[in-house]
Amino acid sequence: MDFGKIFLVLKREYLTRVRTKSFILSTLLTPLAFIVFLAIIVIVTISDGEVTKTVGVVDNTGVLYERLEAIDDQRYQDISDIEIDSIRSSVLAGNLDGYIILNDEFINLTESPTLVYGGSGGLSFIESVEDHLREVVREEQLARSNVSDEVREIFESRPQLKSLKLTDEGEEEDNAIFGAAFGFILGLLIFIGVFGYGALLMRSVIEEKTNRIVEVIASSVKPIELMFGKLFGILSVALTQFGVWILSYVGLSILAAPVAGLILEAQMKNLPPEAAEAASPAFDPSSLEQFIVDPSIFIYFFLFFFVGFLIYSGIFAAIGSAVDSEQDTQQFMIPVMIPIFIGYFLNLRVMENPDSTVAVVASLFPLTAPINMISRIAATEVPIWQIGLSLLLMIGTFAGLMWIAAKIYRVGILMYGKKPSYKELAKWIRQG
Amino acid sequence: MVIINVENVTKAFGKNKAVSDVSFKVEKGRIFGLLGPNGAGKTTTIRMINNILAPDSGSITINGQEASPHTQKMIGYMPEERGLYKKMKVGEQLLYLTQLKGVETKVAKKSIDFWLDRFGASDWKKKEVGELSKGMSQKIQFIATIAHDPDIYIFDEPFSGLDPINSETLKEVIIGLKNDGKTILFSTHRMEQVEQMCDDICLFNNGKAVLQGNLRSLKSSFGENTINLEFEGDGAFLDVLKDVRINNRSTNFAEIRVLNGQSMQDILKLAMKHAEIHKFERVEPSLNEIFISTVGEDNIKNEEVL
Repeated sequence: MDFGKIFLVLKREYLTRVRTKSFILSTLLTPLAFIVFLAIIVIVTISDGEVTKTVGVVDNTGVLYERLEAIDDQRYQDISDIEIDSIRSSVLAGNLDGYIILNDEFINLTESPTLVYGGSGGLSFIESVEDHLREVVREEQLARSNVSDEVREIFESRPQLKSLKLTDEGEEEDNAIFGAAFGFILGLLIFIGVFGYGALLMRSVIEEKTNRIVEVIASSVKPIELMFGKLFGILSVALTQFGVWILSYVGLSILAAPVAGLILEAQMKNLPPEAAEAASPAFDPSSLEQFIVDPSIFIYFFLFFFVGFLIYSGIFAAIGSAVDSEQDTQQFMIPVMIPIFIGYFLNLRVMENPDSTVAVVASLFPLTAPINMISRIAATEVPIWQIGLSLLLMIGTFAGLMWIAAKIYRVGILMYGKKPSYKELAKWIRQG
Repeated sequence: MVIINVENVTKAFGKNKAVSDVSFKVEKGRIFGLLGPNGAGKTTTIRMINNILAPDSGSITINGQEASPHTQKMIGYMPEERGLYKKMKVGEQLLYLTQLKGVETKVAKKSIDFWLDRFGASDWKKKEVGELSKGMSQKIQFIATIAHDPDIYIFDEPFSGLDPINSETLKEVIIGLKNDGKTILFSTHRMEQVEQMCDDICLFNNGKAVLQGNLRSLKSSFGENTINLEFEGDGAFLDVLKDVRINNRSTNFAEIRVLNGQSMQDILKLAMKHAEIHKFERVEPSLNEIFISTVGEDNIKNEEVL
């Protein structure tokens, strides 16, 4: 094989692809979409805390309002003296977000109070009112039952669960939910990359056939050199795109927390002190730090994408060489799509339960491994032997499939006319 | 000196023998025509010479070397199915194709500029091929074939799809290449083009080389056994002639091959009775006639193209 020629083919394939508008746009817009996504999270959480809703309380018990006021004096207003009709009209006018009548029956738990609210309700608003009411009733009941301080403390205590992950280096904080979701997204990226760029390679091969340039090229380059050049050219395009995405992800995830903190601080200065105090617990910039991931996952990502693409791309190239137009590819695409889509559908299962037998098998089976192994690695601690075995099986599969693909490609690129049957393809393989 | 030597070459696709025990030699500095109807095995033979396909048996040598990636560099090949990358710029495309032939970037650029200038196409360098007219892209295609300055030029059906003006230009270029001492091999199913250009020919039919040699001596070996007849009037008398084969017949012209010693004078007499004769000429047979008489009328695979 002449590597100089392979490189020439690779270079042409790479340069013509990365110069297209669609490549530049999709490469740059995706990180932008990620920034927008982060910004929306921040804005939503901040603005959620900013809005103070006022609830009028008609307190017929004489004891509950005090307790509510202690919890949130901005929200709960004592309106026990006001006529019900004028309360209703001020709710309709929007001066009050809602009102609630508290009777003794509520404290005895024989009747539930009703929150009547105006235009803007919202689930979290209703839930928080409910929480507050539960709390004050419980406190009042405890007070009336004359229980000891000890018991009261028991009720006030809120035990929480802290989770730590045990690794060789010791215990460390871990975010299992985020890890699983992140793994799912990486698996999805590999799926999209293998499938999308595989199809691009296929179209590129068909294009050379329909342009009728392939025979000109074949008089200078061996078919296998042409195929490898194109394959690695497209692979380089994909790696460029993913590289840009991942670098911007890493950069953004590291910068997100400090930048959000700065923005938040600047905003707080503009707010009156009480409002700032109310808003501050709603959003904690350091929560964005959970987006920072261990960079080693990206090494695995590139490794599995690389080998996964090689497994499938040979077949995509072979299909492209066997047909004259894209419409003719469908029949041959089905056997390629089945394993790759199985990998895609299993990915959700792998995310939910990364240590299950299904997940282990899917991450070892070479046709689904590129998608499912990366999800597992991100979500759980995968034994190193499984990663090694998975890679070994994939490389073996790649070699076998590429051998077949090269034979089909060699014959196919010079064949025009009738779409070959599977039987004819088998003949091409035997001939080669 | 023999520059292309094809010896006992056979190539089969499944059960179909595309080329069967074919041998011929191409001499340096000459124009060699590969003739025959479509499907006779010309393109397969040419692809083997270009090392695109490998023969099942037999050998092909270029300049004494087995066909290989190395010999590919000595050849400029323009296939019958030709094309370029539509979305690539002319200059980049020519550079790419020339580099693939193993030419250094600097040398390739110089040669491309030279040829673009010679074809009056320097302004197209930055244009995408898709923007060019058909005639323009044919010129670019031609430059792509010759820019690496090979010694051997192989054109598969070079005139198919060319308009008369471009056809004429190509003919001049081919003869120009020959005058520069280059060797040209081209295939065609249009016999009249060969008559005007070729020094040597090889006739293909059904995968076999049925006749080959120097065009002039081949023709003279058949003798002046053909009449070119120009006339005015009713041509129906031609139908009653026996022991002849009429090849190229129109309302006032007929090429009559005389068979089995039929007297030419009798034909002239008959013709004079029925029509006004403008021209009666004894000539060597046309290549078309030679082809038909060599393979036999019944054995021609694809008559319509003759």
